[in-house]
Amino acid sequence: MAHIALEGISKSFGKVQALRNIDLTVRDREFFVLFGPAGAGKTTILKTVAGIEFPDAGLVRFDDEVVNLVEPALRNVSMVFENYALYPHMTVYDNIASPMRSPLYRKDEAVIKQEVQKVADMMGIGSLLERLPSQLSNGQRQRTALGRCLVRSPRVFLMDEPLAHLDAKLRHLMRTELKSMQAEFDTTTIYVTHDYTEAMSLSDRVAIINLGEIVQIGSSDEIYYTPRNEFVAKLVGEPEINLVDVDLVSREGTLCAVFAGTDRCLPVNDDVAGVLSHSTIPKWRMGIRGLNVGYCFTEEENCVEGSVYNLEPIGNKAILTIKVGESLFQAVAPNDLRAELDSPIYLKLDMNNALFFNGETGDFVVRHNQAELVRGR
Amino acid sequence: MKNSPMEALARNSMLILWTIFALFPLFWMLVISFKSDAQMFNTTFVFDPTLENYQEVLIKTDYFKYFLDNIIVSGGAVIVSILVGVPAAYSLARFNFRGKEDLAFTILSFKFAPEILVVLPLFLIYQKIGLYDTYIGLIWVYQLITLPLLVWVLRGYFEDISVEVEQAAQLDGYKWYQIFFRILLPLVKPGLVASALLAFIFAWNSFTFPLLLSGFKIMPVTVASLRYIASDTVHYGQMAVAAVVTATPEVILAILIQKHLVRGLSFGAVKG
Repeated sequence: MAHIALEGISKSFGKVQALRNIDLTVRDREFFVLFGPAGAGKTTILKTVAGIEFPDAGLVRFDDEVVNLVEPALRNVSMVFENYALYPHMTVYDNIASPMRSPLYRKDEAVIKQEVQKVADMMGIGSLLERLPSQLSNGQRQRTALGRCLVRSPRVFLMDEPLAHLDAKLRHLMRTELKSMQAEFDTTTIYVTHDYTEAMSLSDRVAIINLGEIVQIGSSDEIYYTPRNEFVAKLVGEPEINLVDVDLVSREGTLCAVFAGTDRCLPVNDDVAGVLSHSTIPKWRMGIRGLNVGYCFTEEENCVEGSVYNLEPIGNKAILTIKVGESLFQAVAPNDLRAELDSPIYLKLDMNNALFFNGETGDFVVRHNQAELVRGR
Repeated sequence: MKNSPMEALARNSMLILWTIFALFPLFWMLVISFKSDAQMFNTTFVFDPTLENYQEVLIKTDYFKYFLDNIIVSGGAVIVSILVGVPAAYSLARFNFRGKEDLAFTILSFKFAPEILVVLPLFLIYQKIGLYDTYIGLIWVYQLITLPLLVWVLRGYFEDISVEVEQAAQLDGYKWYQIFFRILLPLVKPGLVASALLAFIFAWNSFTFPLLLSGFKIMPVTVASLRYIASDTVHYGQMAVAAVVTATPEVILAILIQKHLVRGLSFGAVKG
């Protein structure tokens, strides 16, 4: 249990600047997710908290105490490493027992036995305790590493992609398990992932990291509904958000979004129009998620004509790609949808869920119902 | 790979030929050691075996003193190499510092400098600073033989262990020396054992250095064997005895560790 703060952390490896001036506060007992693409600096942040990487500048605080000069062992943190970092010459049992045999956190062998068995059963590796790591599959190794982390009760759990190597079904299961464990352990957790579903489902709050900088910190709703910029919008959600250049035109008193290659007017909600009409931004881009892209095969009001570009079934749903003018839209469709390629189709956009970005900087500007969606978070 | 019987036959006969080629000198040495001087040159495999040479060498000369000298010098050299080489290999594997590769290469280059080339200046220096004909002097110069092997084999082993394993142990609450003895040492053990024993054999066989850098006080068996060449005659039988006894520990060691030797030098620390 601890409240952790990073203040102005910078770190470079040779010429590569891994972290630039990171400011971050993790509240006590919070499940905090660091989310970003590969090489963004997520692991480096985690290792800085653990004390196994030293920041070039900045302070690390645990409960307001500066721990920059405290040895990793004395910080009382527990970490899952992405490459498992299991001790190759020890059995699964000894690996999990290792933290409880060290001089700092020593426990009786009887207690160790009980605890190891408990954690191993929780991880579903209870029958593998006598094996060496080399005799395990990657998923089993990962669960062993997770077990070694969870067997202690540290001030903070640090988890570096602990589910990345599990198969899809098991990952889903463990995600649920982790979530309930978090509630039970009542310990601060910092969790690194590049999988947005994990980030969204597990987190109390998410920090989006890119190129060593924090792009946005917020609840999963905030991240999903009001992404700070196009980068965040693209990172979250499957299929990737559709981004299209639009012109804002006033027609018969209502503000319309018109995109390239069409003359169809898509009326903008009043609250959004209020913000947009007062803005001086010259170029706009509209983002709309696949879930909010409807389609029909006959012309209706406010529909835009396009053609079927691609239809890709992915199991429980299909991704329908529609070409309108020069732009492509991805929509979520039922799996049994049948559509001829290049056949005409009509696009129906849910303007209530359209996001408006500054077309030059990519920064988020406004969406419908903004205050209500992220209220109270 | 499927082998036809012809291929297998060819392969095996080549191996048998090679075995004979490799083992015959040892066998010949053993045969000679049982021959009397009188039968030395006029018999090949049929002769009256005698233990006279063994009596002559092992009992009537200081042979065991030389043998002990060899153990002290070679063993000492290997122990010093382990004490110096393990930390050296670790730092070469883990840390980035200026001139790291140059340093590593310099250590390796000891191995391919011809001994005869460096021994003369060493001789002059040793004479001046009083290391000539001392245990310390020989153990020191033997580092040229034993240290590079150890450092280079172990460096590879340490590089194979991911840094995260050490970091995990730190977070588990272990001190650096506990990490070293509990985690790292068991992982590099196969390489350490294999390279240390190989280094011991190289040191044991060393001839040029002890020939020139030691005198009468300390004389390893390799040099002492030369004493059986008298001014008028060469006692081949006695030389053979000295060689047989000298080679015995090496042969026993090699057979004992054969399995580890191949594994230790060819595998890394972390399998899989």
